[in-house]
Amino acid sequence: MSKLTTKNALLGAIVALAISAGLLTAPAKAADQITLTIWTFGEVIQPGLQREYQKLHPEIKIVPIKNDVDPLHQKTILSCQTGGPADIIAFEVPYSGYWRTGNRPSCFQDLRKMTTSSANADAGVAAGLTANDIKKNYLPWRWEQGVAFNDNVIGIPTDVGGLQVAYRSDLFKKAGLPTDRAAVSKLWPTWDAFIATGQKYVSKLTPAEKKAGKGFIDDAGSIYAAVMNQGTVKYYQPDGTDAGKLVYKTNPQIKKAWDTTVKALNAGIGARLGQFTSDWNIGMNKCAMATILAPAWMLDYIKKQAPDTKGKWDIADLPVGGGNQGGTELGIPAYSKNKQAAYDFLTWYLAPEQQLKVFKTYGLFPSTSVLYDDAALLDYKDEFFSNAPVGQIYTKGVLKLKPIFEGELQRKIDSTFGAGLGRVASKKMTSEKSYALVLSDIDKLFKN
Amino acid sequence: MTLIKEGKGRQKAPLTPWKQKSTKVKKPLPGVASLNGRWGYPAIAPFFIIFLIFGVAPVVYSVYIAFFKWDPLGTSEFNGINNFIFLIQDSDFWLALRNTFSIWALSTFPQMMMAISLAAILRNKRLKGKSFWRTILLVPNITSVIAITIVFQQLFGRDYGLINGILGLIPGVDHIDFIEGIIPSHIQIATMITWRWVGYNTLIFLASMLAIPDELYESASVDGATKWQQFKYVTLPSLKNTITFVLIVGTIGGLQVFAEPQQLAPDGGSTKQFLTLTLFLYNQAFLNNKYGYAAAIGIAITFIVLIISAVNFVITRKISGEGSR
Repeated sequence: MSKLTTKNALLGAIVALAISAGLLTAPAKAADQITLTIWTFGEVIQPGLQREYQKLHPEIKIVPIKNDVDPLHQKTILSCQTGGPADIIAFEVPYSGYWRTGNRPSCFQDLRKMTTSSANADAGVAAGLTANDIKKNYLPWRWEQGVAFNDNVIGIPTDVGGLQVAYRSDLFKKAGLPTDRAAVSKLWPTWDAFIATGQKYVSKLTPAEKKAGKGFIDDAGSIYAAVMNQGTVKYYQPDGTDAGKLVYKTNPQIKKAWDTTVKALNAGIGARLGQFTSDWNIGMNKCAMATILAPAWMLDYIKKQAPDTKGKWDIADLPVGGGNQGGTELGIPAYSKNKQAAYDFLTWYLAPEQQLKVFKTYGLFPSTSVLYDDAALLDYKDEFFSNAPVGQIYTKGVLKLKPIFEGELQRKIDSTFGAGLGRVASKKMTSEKSYALVLSDIDKLFKN
Repeated sequence: MTLIKEGKGRQKAPLTPWKQKSTKVKKPLPGVASLNGRWGYPAIAPFFIIFLIFGVAPVVYSVYIAFFKWDPLGTSEFNGINNFIFLIQDSDFWLALRNTFSIWALSTFPQMMMAISLAAILRNKRLKGKSFWRTILLVPNITSVIAITIVFQQLFGRDYGLINGILGLIPGVDHIDFIEGIIPSHIQIATMITWRWVGYNTLIFLASMLAIPDELYESASVDGATKWQQFKYVTLPSLKNTITFVLIVGTIGGLQVFAEPQQLAPDGGSTKQFLTLTLFLYNQAFLNNKYGYAAAIGIAITFIVLIISAVNFVITRKISGEGSR
């Protein structure tokens, strides 16, 4: 017995020694290696480019940590109060209004005060550039979405979510509709024409297909955001103040978006598949929908979820033209311990050269406007989408976009309207009743 | 309880030889005695220190911020009792209260009946593989809530779910939307809760059933009572205290239903048809950044628990009073 214990004690001592030795040497190693922690979502940080950067800088280790958009927002708020491990944080444009107002910009490093080091001088990013120096590369209104109301630059834009219609040419052919993308675009100069086309398509479906829940568009509710973003004002009207004036009750564009969506819902053209649900993913493979209102960044998602539909998709213009959805900013939290390395990475990653690569491999449309007359972008075609000139189509759409003021509670108001349309879609409420409830729910957001 | 006390002469099984040794009462060791004396407080200190930091302090703090308009990254201003006034006027609060009690009722009562029946089956002496059955009853309880929700969501799916698939076989029955409907969504959530807790409660009922002396059953059968009469007049009255216990624990759990509805839809559904009290609190704090208002909701929940506990207490006393008559 006693023999055993001494043996155990010895073993324990050795293990303890080994562990403490490991702990002691670990920080020594980290001193010459910088770890950049990036809080991100979706496909904002591309693994391919991440590897490329690590090849350029073996001393830097990039660790992207993915969350969903809304939980990430909450995490960012909490970490702003308590400090955190992140060196770079991604936030979506609908949340930009939140971070730009009040004293919240102080959560992020003012990028005007950062200058690039010579680390990436060979990779195309000159040394000594502040955020103001790289501003000219980006779409001006898109750049503004990362500028706080106290003029701090808190984020640099990644992509711009130009919106177009992705459609299944094989299903269109089956339903007797034109398949050529120019002819398809001509089918729907207006949203009413789009809904009418949808009704024509749905009328050709067999009863069995109808029973299986197939439809013309994946989710008729997605029309709401598309119509709304074709206006110049959403829920807030810029009035010179930081907060902007709330106009969601009176803005005709909102009412128009609501009414158009309700019309589409009542016309029964939707497959009632919520985007990014598992049913949506399955439906894409089962021909459950013939069209998706697809921002540029969604193309890659379609490719990954339904690889067997390669060549069956094509891309046409959005009704009325010029749609916008999403887009992301990358910022450096004020508590980051590796601001210089983070800024060097950001300026390299978001430079036009890299953004072109991102577009070609993943379809995220760059907000670096210097590329918009670049042949490399304009001539880009995508095999998956029947060789559609994706570059040209999305450039045309993005150039039509007008800047829209994003207010503090943009995202919350958006989801309240979304829930309202959900009630109409599930026939739980009439359009009028649901709309009234949306307005009273939004009122509550601003109380307490 | 009285019945268990009466079962003094329950030593029908002969004591095994190695158990007889332990009949001698040992003197307490000196070490243990000193632990009770000098070292007792330091020994229990870790729990109380952690409880103070993570239990008491947050409670005190949330009572404090309940009187503020509290935005974590914005301005915070004293708000008096406005949070509470707003709460009483907030239709969502009453909706959440309704949903919580509806889900609680739909999960507790069927669950209790199932647990008692299962325990009665497991009590059967001729049952083979007793330990196996008792063990697998606990498996749902140790499964992650998220995993349960994902699986049940597929079972209850509107278009491709198994349950709607079976319902579809009955002519004239339409698919039920177990998310959008009020009662259907409550049934879905209650089913998840029942599935998770029925085994646990079965074991509690089983334990107290095993404590019922066999003589009672023997004399009942001598008197000519059927199995059902034995269950009704012997088993059930003996379970009275256990039923109260399970009911109280179930009520506390029922007021905390959170993960299941949150997994179905973070906002509690398009008409907030399955928004529960805790989900309501969470959403106000962590989605709407109204920490002060959320703290007020927390206090309201505390009061609701107190009221229910008082009602429970009165009923329990009444029942046990009747029992001792």
